[in-house]
Amino acid sequence: MTNVLETIEAQIAGVKASTAKQNVGTVREIGDGVAKVEGLTDAMLNEMLDFGNNVTGLALNLEETEVGAIILGDYTGVKEGQEVRTTGKLLQVPVGKGLLGRVVNTLGQPVDGKGPIKSDTAYPVEKIAPGIIRRKSVSQPVQTGIMPIDAMIPIGRGQRELIIGDRSTGKTTICIDTIINQARMNKEAETKGDKEYRPLYTIYVAVGQKQSNIANTVRVLEEQGAMPYTIIVAAAAAESATNQYLAPFAGCAMGEWFMDNGMDALIIYDDLSKHAVAYRQVSLVLKRPSGREAYPGDVFYLHSRLLERAARLGEKYGNGSLTALPIIETQLGDVSAYIPTNVISITDGQIYLETDLFYQGVRPAISVGLSVSRVGSAAQIKGMKQVAGRIKGDLAQFRELAAFAQFGSDLDAATQAKIERGKRIVEIFKQQQYQPIPVELQVAVLWAAQNGYFDDVPVERVKEVQAKLGEYVTTRKPDMMARIAKEKALNDALTNELKAAVTEFKGTLGKLTESKPAAK
Amino acid sequence: MKIPKQAKRKAKALFKEVHANGLLDENRLVQAVQLTSQRKPRGYLAILTHLEHLVKLDVENRTARIESATPLDGQVEAAVKEKLARHYGPGLHTSFHVNAALLGGLRIRVGSDVYDGTVAGRLKQLEDELAQ
Repeated sequence: MTNVLETIEAQIAGVKASTAKQNVGTVREIGDGVAKVEGLTDAMLNEMLDFGNNVTGLALNLEETEVGAIILGDYTGVKEGQEVRTTGKLLQVPVGKGLLGRVVNTLGQPVDGKGPIKSDTAYPVEKIAPGIIRRKSVSQPVQTGIMPIDAMIPIGRGQRELIIGDRSTGKTTICIDTIINQARMNKEAETKGDKEYRPLYTIYVAVGQKQSNIANTVRVLEEQGAMPYTIIVAAAAAESATNQYLAPFAGCAMGEWFMDNGMDALIIYDDLSKHAVAYRQVSLVLKRPSGREAYPGDVFYLHSRLLERAARLGEKYGNGSLTALPIIETQLGDVSAYIPTNVISITDGQIYLETDLFYQGVRPAISVGLSVSRVGSAAQIKGMKQVAGRIKGDLAQFRELAAFAQFGSDLDAATQAKIERGKRIVEIFKQQQYQPIPVELQVAVLWAAQNGYFDDVPVERVKEVQAKLGEYVTTRKPDMMARIAKEKALNDALTNELKAAVTEFKGTLGKLTESKPAAK
Repeated sequence: MKIPKQAKRKAKALFKEVHANGLLDENRLVQAVQLTSQRKPRGYLAILTHLEHLVKLDVENRTARIESATPLDGQVEAAVKEKLARHYGPGLHTSFHVNAALLGGLRIRVGSDVYDGTVAGRLKQLEDELAQ
């Protein structure tokens, strides 16, 4: 009781001395989540405005006699003539490890019914990206657990890699697989007590998605045990355009906290097409001049300032990183539309998913020719470089030769071999969703494929043999796999061991490889 | 009424013209309004509407509304007027109002600046602090 009284007395004492100057305005117009407020002569850009009754707004347009503000939350209670006050604060969201495992809205408030969030730090939603001096080039890999990505389009910590494709081509699945793989690796390192491993925390920002899709993503992540390392920022389709516009920035602020505190984080923006549409809506209601496709002139800056906040910091500045995986949905495979070209030019590469490949059963439906990682092999472990260095070229050659072979002409043995090898690599790269593959296993399988151990396996049985090989090396040769994982490279001794293991495995297969496809 | 940009520009130019020594000159303003109404330039209604809006804002910025729970005595009123004039410069109009709901203290509003030293305001502030 005494404590309560002391608290109240302290509060009263604090209030007594304050006859502060306030800056107020009056709502002149309200509609579609945007208010025009007269007065507010001292309002700052992006300042939070107090509309009373726990309704907050954000000053976006500072005009000669009025301020255009977007309302965060429920705007139906705001009335014309109502008094509005400046707060002197920029929009902030809670940050920190207390958010891990939680589903929050744009303002960082929990929406998962698991009680309040424990966080004593807040970060501004809009922040200038780290400058040149603080940055370092990308050199550490983000293991997605998706073989074609880790082998051919490696992603590094601090990189911005765009995932682009039509609807229902597996864009979100790639991201969820990546989250699951990070959680698996984080857990593994925790169990082993590996101090050298830098855990990668994930922030998944859902913009303009159906509530059911978000619920499904949360369910999958919970089932796979990935939620303890993940924050989900949800701005569903039912929420205001304002909240959808701010959600990626809020998620980015949460990721920046990890980066600033010497940790690594990965942020997924799912997706920036809907984000641009939400921003277009806000801008049009604010009566900002519209440009191409009615997007405002600063839609490029909207995405560039967001994605520039992903960075790898130098050792002097904590050695943290924030990797960004923005998603863009194309219409009928048109990558030359306005928003896709903008984001392609901002990011450090893209993973292009093709509808045709998806329906051919190549899943993930990654188009090898159009996908690229501009950071390149700097973000790959040496072992992967050794086995996958030539794969992208080989696959491109395979596609060219396969198209040529369709004309039915006779092919020489070397061309035939290349086509057969290509078919098997395509099969090897097929992967079930939510089943990321550890990098050491990827190295072992790719080594076997590159050294011709799959050449005598019928194409339709490649996946089966691959699964068996995986099972064999992980159960019978765990030491070898652990060494590949630890040394991250294939030296002569390891190569010999791998050779012996794969040969031994092939011996156990028996009849499986006997039905060798007849060469034409 | 939607006011076109051109009308806004003209109203703003007119608004500048009716100022003398940085202060709004009422005679000039009346003259300007009369002339505009007589000559009827293109979009004159929109021009006058926007001019009215600008004048209204200017008047608000040059008016101090002082509220207190009980009527203030002459000495306090003079002191308040003097302090406000010192802060906001010459040409400031003051109006005193009684509002019992304030319980005590003064609430001064000049344009969009509000100085709230009332008991009601402090209680509201305390309520907000305790609610957090």
